[in-house]
Amino acid sequence: MQESGVVVEGLVKRFGSFVALDGVTFVVPEGTVVGLLGPNGAGKTTVIRILATLLRSDGGRASVAGYDVVTHPQQVRAAIGLTGQFAAVDEDLTGRENLVLVGRLGRLTRKVASDRAAELLDSFELTDAADRVVRGYSGGMRRRLDLGASLIASPSVLFLDEPTTGLDPRSRLRLWEVIGRLRDDGKTIVLTTQYMEEADQLAEQISVIDCGQIIAEGTADQLKTKVGGDVLDLRLSERSQASDAAALLAHTFGIPKSELTIDDELGIVLIPVQAGASALIDAVRALDGAGVAVADLGLRRPSLDDVFLSLTGHLAEEPRPDAPEPLQRRGRPRI
Amino acid sequence: MTAVSVEPAGLTVDQRAALSPRRVLGDIALIAGRNLRKVQRSPGLIVFSTIQPLMQLVLFVFIFGAIANIGTGTSYKDFVVPAVLVQSLAFAAMGSGVGIAYDLQSGMVDRFRSLPIARSAFLVGRTVSDSLRLGLQSLLLVAAALLIGFHFHAGLLGALGMIVVVVLFGIALTTFSAFVGLAVKDPETVQPAVFIPVLPLVFTSSAFAPVSRLPGWMQPLAKVNPITYAIDTARGLALGSNTLYKVSHIHLATAAEYFALSWVLIVGIFTALAVHRYRVG
Ligand SMILES: Nc1ncnc2c1ncn2[C@@H]1O[C@H](COP(=O)(O)OP(=O)(O)OP(=O)(O)O)[C@@H](O)[C@H]1O
Ligand SMILES: [Mg+2]
Repeated sequence: MQESGVVVEGLVKRFGSFVALDGVTFVVPEGTVVGLLGPNGAGKTTVIRILATLLRSDGGRASVAGYDVVTHPQQVRAAIGLTGQFAAVDEDLTGRENLVLVGRLGRLTRKVASDRAAELLDSFELTDAADRVVRGYSGGMRRRLDLGASLIASPSVLFLDEPTTGLDPRSRLRLWEVIGRLRDDGKTIVLTTQYMEEADQLAEQISVIDCGQIIAEGTADQLKTKVGGDVLDLRLSERSQASDAAALLAHTFGIPKSELTIDDELGIVLIPVQAGASALIDAVRALDGAGVAVADLGLRRPSLDDVFLSLTGHLAEEPRPDAPEPLQRRGRPRI
Repeated sequence: MTAVSVEPAGLTVDQRAALSPRRVLGDIALIAGRNLRKVQRSPGLIVFSTIQPLMQLVLFVFIFGAIANIGTGTSYKDFVVPAVLVQSLAFAAMGSGVGIAYDLQSGMVDRFRSLPIARSAFLVGRTVSDSLRLGLQSLLLVAAALLIGFHFHAGLLGALGMIVVVVLFGIALTTFSAFVGLAVKDPETVQPAVFIPVLPLVFTSSAFAPVSRLPGWMQPLAKVNPITYAIDTARGLALGSNTLYKVSHIHLATAAEYFALSWVLIVGIFTALAVHRYRVG
C-alpha cells in the first residue's frame, strides 16, 4: 500500500556520542496537521531536517509523500515545502525576487513563478514591500516571506519548524490564521512548537517529544484527560481565608488538603476534582454555608502546560541537562 | 508509485524530481544570476575590491618602479603589472568563500538543498558568477594599468592570453576559498583564513623580483610555489617569451606547463574537498 503523508519509524540520530533522537516514531496521515511539541533541545529540528533530506539519520526510516527520504531524496524534495526555524531568505534580493527564485528552482515556469509570487505576496500582506530588499524587513515579514517561499511550488507536504517563535502576539495570530488556511486546504503539515497553545490551536494530533523520544501522543483533549480530571479554580475576596476555604473543600470532597494548591498571598485555591459540574455545585454550597466570600469560582481543564509538567516532570523551558553546547548560528536573530 | 499531482505546475512529483541536462544548466544559471545580482546590489564591494589593487598598482609602478631595476632593459613597471594582477585576483577570489559562508549562515544553503535541484548547481553556479566577476575585474585593472603606462609587448594574442591566465588562476583560488567558506562557515573568519595562507605565498614567489634575485633561502620555496608559475606564465604572455627568459631564466612553455599542472591539482583537490563538505552539510 502506498503510504502518503509522513511516516517516521524508530528514527535515531547521534551527534558524536550524544543521542539526539532515540527511536522517534509518529505518523501524519495525508491532509492532517501533526504538532511536534517539545522544549529546547528535544530534537524537533533534528526530526524536521531528516525529513527534509538535510540530515541523514543513523537508524530507523522515514518517508514523505510515499517516498523514502534516503532512497528517494530528490522526490521528497519535489514534494515538500520547508520553513526552517530560522527564516531562510536572501537579504540582498527583494521579497518578490526571493519567491521567484525559489519558484523557478522548484520547476515553475517564469510566468507561473511570477504569478504565484504576486499571489503569495498579496495573501501574506507583503505587496507594499514586495520590491524592497529583504534587509529592511521586520522579523514577522521575513517569517511570512519564508513561508511564502516554501509554498510557492504548491507542495503537498509542509514542514514548519517553530514558525512563530520570536514573533510578537499580533504577528503570531496572523501566522496562525495563515497556517489554519493551509490546513483547511488539505495540506499535510508537520509543525514543531514549544507553545502548548499553538499545538492546541493548529494541530489535530500532538506528539510530545522530550530528550529525543516521543513521550505522549493524542489530540489535545486526550492529552489533557491523561493528566487527570478538571481543576476547580477558586479566588477569594478575603485573601486570608484561603487556608480555611481549602480545609473546608478538602473535607467536602474527601481528599487530603495536601492535594490542593493554596496561594495565601493571592487568595487562590486550586482543587483537583473528578466529576466537574457537580463538584462546582457542591463547592458553591459548602462555601456559601460557611459564609466564605467568593470573588470567582471556575472549572477549567488542565492546560497543555500542566500536561507537559506531569508528563516530563520538568517545565518546557528547561534545557536538557546532558546536551552539548547549543549550536547557535552566530549573528542571526532567532526569528 | 502513484503520482501525486502538484498544482499549479501540473507536474507529478517524479516529473519535478527529474534532472535533465537542460534543467541542471538552468539551475546553474539561476544561482549564478542570483549571485551576480547580489554583487551588483553591493557596489561598495566592487569599488573596494578594485580600488585596493589599483592603489597597489600605483604603489608598485611609481614608487618601486622608480627605485627597482631588473637590469635587462625591461622596465619594472612592465615586469610587475602581471604580478599585481595575479595577486589582485587571488585576493578577489576570497569573495567566493565569504559569499558561501553568508549563504550557510542565512539558511540559503539549506533552502537550496531542500529543493529538487541538481546538487552541483550551488557550487557550479558560484564558480560561474565568480568567473564573470573576476573577468570583469581583470579588465578594469588592465585598463587602469594601460592608463598609467603599462605596455603589452607580445601583441593582442599575448594580452588576451595573459588575461585568461590571470582569471584562470583566480578561479583556481575560488575553489580553495569555497572550501574554506564551507569548512569555516563564519563569514568574518573566512577572510583571514584565506588571506593568511595566500599572502606569504605571494611574497615568496616571483611576484616582485625574479627568483634568482630573491634571498637564497627563499629560492627553493619560490620554485615550488604555484604562484611563481602563474605569474611567470602571465608575464611571458605580456612581455614575450624572450624577455621572460632574459629576466627569469625560464621558458614560457615550461612555466605554462607547471602552471597547468598546479592549476589542475589545486582545482581538483579543493573542488573535491568542497563538494564533500557541501554534501555532508
Ligand atoms: N549538528 C549538531 N551537532 C551536535 N549536536 C547537535 C547538532 N544539532 C543538534 N544537536 C543537539 O541535539 C539536540 C536536539 O537538537 P534540536 O535542534 O533538534 O532541538 P530542538 O527541539 O529543535 O530545540 P529548539 O527548540 O531549541 O530548536 C540538542 O541537544 C542539540 O544541542
Ligand atoms: Mg529547533
